[in-house]
Amino acid sequence: MNAIELRNVTKIYPLFKVDNVSLDVKKGYITGLIGPNGAGKSTLIKMITGLIHPDKGSLKTLGSEMPNQEVDIKQRLGIVSDECFYYEHLTIREMTRMIAPFYAKWDNKAFNNYLDQFELSPKKKIQDLSKGMKIKYSLAVALSHEADLLIMDEPTSGLDPVFRRELLDLLADMIQDETRSIIFSTHITTDLERIADYITFIHQGKLVFNEAKDDVLERYTIVKGDMDLLDSDVRKHFIGIRETAVGFEALSDHKAEAEQLFGRLALLQRPTLEDLIYFTAKGGRKYA
Amino acid sequence: MLNLLRKDFIVLKSSLWTIGLYLVVFSLAFIPQSEMSMYFVGIYTAFGSVMLATMIDIKNHNHNFLVTLPVSRKQIVKAKYLSAIVYTLFGVLASFGIHQLVNLNYPELNKPNYSLRDIVIAVGMVLVLVSIYMPLFYGLSKKGAGIINAIFMLCMIILAQPVAYLMHMANENGIITTTTMTLVSIGIIGLFVVSYLITIRLFARKDL
Repeated sequence: MNAIELRNVTKIYPLFKVDNVSLDVKKGYITGLIGPNGAGKSTLIKMITGLIHPDKGSLKTLGSEMPNQEVDIKQRLGIVSDECFYYEHLTIREMTRMIAPFYAKWDNKAFNNYLDQFELSPKKKIQDLSKGMKIKYSLAVALSHEADLLIMDEPTSGLDPVFRRELLDLLADMIQDETRSIIFSTHITTDLERIADYITFIHQGKLVFNEAKDDVLERYTIVKGDMDLLDSDVRKHFIGIRETAVGFEALSDHKAEAEQLFGRLALLQRPTLEDLIYFTAKGGRKYA
Repeated sequence: MLNLLRKDFIVLKSSLWTIGLYLVVFSLAFIPQSEMSMYFVGIYTAFGSVMLATMIDIKNHNHNFLVTLPVSRKQIVKAKYLSAIVYTLFGVLASFGIHQLVNLNYPELNKPNYSLRDIVIAVGMVLVLVSIYMPLFYGLSKKGAGIINAIFMLCMIILAQPVAYLMHMANENGIITTTTMTLVSIGIIGLFVVSYLITIRLFARKDL
């Protein structure tokens, strides 16, 4: 069962396009959405949340079609973004009084508990909240109406390391019963290494992969070796190469092939998610 | 729908005094000066309130928040048209009430005795303005909507006297009959409905 299904989704802007993306976000898991700046992550999230419309393709969220069943879908969505579009002149209490009646399953007790936990005063105006506090507030709202799917766009970007850890624990707890799902876009890939089950990698508007995190990190490998190992045939095996005065470091998406090719001549290491973004953005391989 | 109207009330609660201020300022400005002050006070207050209620939703790109709530874009537009009707009735009826009080307390100002017909004409004029304004507001970006507001204010100031003169002439020449009033009213209601449908279409297609 999938929480989100995208089929051949295309969105064309004058200088950028999300190109024919098809992907499934598995229900009951945390999926990390990664990619360099301008890769199309936020565009994808905006299409999933109904802020923008795809030019082509179809979108299904929690089994229902967007935008035909958008009201039912949004009852079951929790959205947290690093951009805050609340009414700035209202206090947290007023803003919440406005939001709560829209949700059939609003849990005021849970909401107040989150406010306490996040140390947010209901009397504080939205305009007086720091970026991190605004994210905490939208998180409290998103978690207080029994959302089946939490969509988070760069939620940890304005948070201090202590709360970031707490948030990750909270998210991990949230999906324990395997009925809820989370899609989480971030540049802080260490967060995803900690909690994500699946990774979706977008680059230049195209889907590079959408796989279980452990499978991805097993399939890819970092190769480190001397410059004399690099010839034009060898270069073709790599997604991206970083060359220095003392040698090279490169990313291959075929660990077995790299082992066969280099044997003991080079050092092979398990990559991080950051390595995947870095070398993919640096290298020029195109993804169809 | 009720939740969206409630949302408008919560958001505008701290600005509602502005509508009262509009009434006071426009009354002081027009009642001693113009024979058609009932129209001016009503139309300016009503349309000023509509602008206030729409602009507050784009101050911080708040449509981006509203469309994430479990409501459709159609409902967002419908709620705004409904509140525009409420502001229109409030502005025009408040102006009528003020003029009745002025007639009672300051007969030396020689204000005409306004009737239901004057209320209907003023309401119709605001609805025409709303019908033109709403599709532009929902179809354009935040910057565009700000420009539209300025243009509307300017047009209302510039066109107020010529329209007042035309109405006066029409009244003098007996053009405003029950038949013309009925036909024009039907036309305005039609325009309002068409405007509503166009606005839904524009807002539903808009990328935020």
